[in-house]
Amino acid sequence: MVSYSKETQTPADTQTHTQAKPGCCVCVRACVAEEEEEEEEMADPKPAEDSQEEKADEEEKQEEVLPKELTEEEKMHLLNSEEFMAFFDRGSRIVERALSERVDVCFDYSGRDLEDREGEMQAGAKMSLSRVFSDERWSKNRVVTCLDWSPQYPELLVASYNSNDDAPHEPDGVALVWNMKYKKTTPEYTFHCQSAVMSAAFARFHPNLIVGGTYSGQIVLWDNRSNKRTSVQRTPLSASAHTHPVYCVNVVGTENAHNLISISTDGKMCSWNLDMLSQPQDSLELVFKQSKAVAVTSMAFPLGDVNNFVVGSEDGSLYTACRHGSKAGISDVFDGHHGPVTGLSCHSAGGPVDFSHLFISASFDWTVKLWTTKSTRPLYLFEDSCDYVYDVMWSPTHPALFACVDGSGRLDLWNLNNDTEVPSASVVVDGSPALNRVRWAHSGREIATGDSDGQVLVYDVGEKICVPKADEWTRFVHTLVEINENRDEGDELAAQRLLA
Amino acid sequence: RFSAVFIFSPKQAEVEETLKRIQTHKGVIGTIVVNAEGIPIRTTLDNSTTVQYAGLLHQLTMKARSTVRDLDPQNDLTFLRIRSKKHEIMVAPDKEYLLIVIQNPSE
Repeated sequence: MVSYSKETQTPADTQTHTQAKPGCCVCVRACVAEEEEEEEEMADPKPAEDSQEEKADEEEKQEEVLPKELTEEEKMHLLNSEEFMAFFDRGSRIVERALSERVDVCFDYSGRDLEDREGEMQAGAKMSLSRVFSDERWSKNRVVTCLDWSPQYPELLVASYNSNDDAPHEPDGVALVWNMKYKKTTPEYTFHCQSAVMSAAFARFHPNLIVGGTYSGQIVLWDNRSNKRTSVQRTPLSASAHTHPVYCVNVVGTENAHNLISISTDGKMCSWNLDMLSQPQDSLELVFKQSKAVAVTSMAFPLGDVNNFVVGSEDGSLYTACRHGSKAGISDVFDGHHGPVTGLSCHSAGGPVDFSHLFISASFDWTVKLWTTKSTRPLYLFEDSCDYVYDVMWSPTHPALFACVDGSGRLDLWNLNNDTEVPSASVVVDGSPALNRVRWAHSGREIATGDSDGQVLVYDVGEKICVPKADEWTRFVHTLVEINENRDEGDELAAQRLLA
Repeated sequence: RFSAVFIFSPKQAEVEETLKRIQTHKGVIGTIVVNAEGIPIRTTLDNSTTVQYAGLLHQLTMKARSTVRDLDPQNDLTFLRIRSKKHEIMVAPDKEYLLIVIQNPSE
């Protein structure tokens, strides 16, 4: 930028040289160059002020090269000076007047600027973080291993945690009951046990009991009526019960006839009576083809079924099984995944059409697969994730909606009636911790997820996404038909390619 | 041995009160006071945000001031207001200091 300047350049040069920092040749050259530019720009008539400006500018340039901090004392000194008082008096006066002006000169009545915002607002309306539950003492440095919402009190959520490596004297297993209703940031109940808790559930027909499956194979029962933080009942650590980690616990049945089902990673399935945990009522070895024990990592019962269920194993295979009858044990094997199965969920949104034959599975192979119990080949493959998918769950109210979480901190909501290629809503948790578990609340409006840092995050899901309209079920029927057609086409093409 | 001496004159108290009043005004996200060298001396925001705002706005204010003076050498910058989609940044400049207030006007 060249402008006519009346000042001569030489005085500035000498000034620059005297003020330059010794031994800092680059700075001097830069300062001098900048200095000359600055001088040309400013056609200030007052020479005294001019030199002061130059000084300030040069100092500014020097500041840019060497950033300086002021000590508290220096700051206080500045803040107490006369010049500051005068400046502040004037400046704050103007600012306060400007702040009090509520006129938005940029307001657009056509609503066009809202369109830009709408994308943001929509995104905000999709999922918003409601609560974060974490306890300094009990949940820090532990991984959230399981989550369950209370069937009786929709505001209660139990989270189980594994061991804290940094605190060897603290109990290895912790289960905390969190309360959504109040703003209190501490857990409602704190329970612990000697072994890391891998799975936990509210005992469905006993509002006071919480069941935990541990790493040692022991199943513990906590009671919130007792004043103890330790379990009131424990299963024996013997061969009659479990000796391997128990990743799945579930209470199935009806009010009058229910059992606690537990499966450990050695394929042993036990069913218990909650009143007496000293020995299992029934036990079964889950083996495939009479030889291979199934290392069960996840289990799910279809809606309304107490006999047939689905299990996922460490080697990626999925099986259907049944508890009673002549064919008790593993029935069918599914094509499965390329890595351990981390989560299983059976369709549970009741409605005009029954989809209880559908289930979804998540695995370390970065995918989620949609299955039907009527076929061993997957119906659909969801491969939008770039990390291990740690858990998946159908919405309890919306027939075409499910959630999945992965190791990169992403919580995705898939609405199959909208799009089967990409999730309809997605959020990344702050800090991108690996998300280990996901659980929809019974209302289907909130979703909880537990991460590897011991935090439980509860998100509110926007109405547009989670509340099903009346025609969702029929739309899902069409979606499934399409999916089926695509699958058959895909299979035909694959078969043709093989023949060719 | 004194580690820090805080001279809390009545004028200082007034300054504090005014700063507090500005900060608690509806929609105000942050308030920063910057000295002539662009170094923040009072702030209600975290360190990295403050340093960013202070540096950038100091440069912008210098540029704005030089623009005004180029157009008319007897004129000077009195107030700078930057309205963006999300915020409004108000800068009250002075020879020595800058008072920066960031507000969300739609609140």
